[in-house]
Amino acid sequence: MSALFRLVGVGGVIAYRALFNWTTPSIFVGTLLVGPLFQLFFFAYLGREFGVADDRFYIVGNAVLTAALACVFGGTMAVANERRFGTLGHVLLSPRSRTAIFLGRVLPYAGNGLLIAASTLTVAALLLGLRIPPTALPGLLLALATASLACGFFGLTLGALGLRFRDVFLISNVAVALLLLFTGVNVPADDLPAGIRAVGAVLPITHAADAARRLAGGVPLGDVLPAIGAELAVGVGYAVLAAGLLRVFEAESRRRASLDTL
Amino acid sequence: MIAVGALLHVKQLSRSPFEIAIALFVPVVQATLAVYLFRAGGEPDRLLEAAVGAGLMGVWSTVLFGSGGAIQNQRWQGTLEMIMLAPRSPALVLLPVTLATGITGTYAMLATLAWGRLLYGIPLDFAHPVAFPVAVAGCIAGLGMFGLLLASSFVLLRHANALANMLEYPIWLVSGMLVPVTALPGWTGPVAAVLPTTWGARAVHEAASGGPVWPALAVCLAISLACLAAGWVLMTYVERRARVTATLALA
Repeated sequence: MSALFRLVGVGGVIAYRALFNWTTPSIFVGTLLVGPLFQLFFFAYLGREFGVADDRFYIVGNAVLTAALACVFGGTMAVANERRFGTLGHVLLSPRSRTAIFLGRVLPYAGNGLLIAASTLTVAALLLGLRIPPTALPGLLLALATASLACGFFGLTLGALGLRFRDVFLISNVAVALLLLFTGVNVPADDLPAGIRAVGAVLPITHAADAARRLAGGVPLGDVLPAIGAELAVGVGYAVLAAGLLRVFEAESRRRASLDTL
Repeated sequence: MIAVGALLHVKQLSRSPFEIAIALFVPVVQATLAVYLFRAGGEPDRLLEAAVGAGLMGVWSTVLFGSGGAIQNQRWQGTLEMIMLAPRSPALVLLPVTLATGITGTYAMLATLAWGRLLYGIPLDFAHPVAFPVAVAGCIAGLGMFGLLLASSFVLLRHANALANMLEYPIWLVSGMLVPVTALPGWTGPVAAVLPTTWGARAVHEAASGGPVWPALAVCLAISLACLAAGWVLMTYVERRARVTATLALA
């Protein structure tokens, strides 16, 4: 069991560090910390302009959503970059569980997403004047962590498609755009059609954003645990789906000898 | 040369499923979001503004990522050196690339207008039906020229795409593409005033909803020409520096 944890934990961290062959701290700060902050400001001012909801709705909701940027693209890159850098064959030749290897890679990205969401929420709350009760902080951290994990597994599901389709970043770009609409982060759920709400219910972010908003509004943690549980269930669902897709597509790519030809 | 070059690059960009899907699909998602927001905010009369605003956002995204990505693509394809070795000024060779990204951005505007008309029944009752296409064309030309300044800056940067990621929302915000500039803090005013995107967006919005189109379009083009001149000088400097240090492919 300890070997499995080592594979999941250490393997994930090493794969995450490998990212830094193309990024640098300044790029990290610019893309993952400053960029999402501007996204939040955009929607916060849009919300103020139309008076659809208060600042708490937009600031907290969009802060949760910022986790998606790192987690969805990170989960996608966990698979897609192996092909891009020519190492996918080596990973799939490993005698260890590839499911464990890839699921482990999500963990650092989820940590990354949590950092981004927490820093975005902190800075935005300070700059836009949102007061969050200190008692809400542990619950908020839990909601953000759950959202990050769910987004990471969602991203891994998209990344698994990278074993079958060539341009997986097209899928992840579209998916991130759809999260803006379907999760109800920027439009109150009551103002969205039932179809969009139904899709949103099985996407990451939706339940965590709802929980985080209520926590920031002073609702006790116990009252929002069902929403956080729903977010966790969505995350587990995507983890299972990702594991299944990785197995199926790996087997298919071996059978068709198409691993590096797609 | 500019016309033929721009046509060539428009064709090339239009062959990319990624570019086309992003130019068509993401603005439609943004426009859908904007429509629900406008409706929820009790502003159903402004849905055309939402569609036009989302289209403008798509144009800017295409120019921003296209200008940065075009240089990077040339680098990845190994053709950046050939472009720089051409007997014409490098700025003149690269301008068609950035203009092409602006022209490709019209897909976003067409997509959001068509989507709004077909799915939500938004009437395309432009206040200035003749001025609207002229304003869009002027805005796109202006953004293409602004793109040259971006492109010449991006040549210097190995991580240009990361910078592009950071610039998308701020320009959407301060240019008033969807959120009016008046809704923003006062200090953003001077920043907005020097951006061609602000004046281009104002011209297009005024052509759609009513207002004096030509002054805003003139300011947009004037600032864009200044950007073109600055981009030209910067591109010349960058090219010479890259030749001296032999770092063009490594930059």
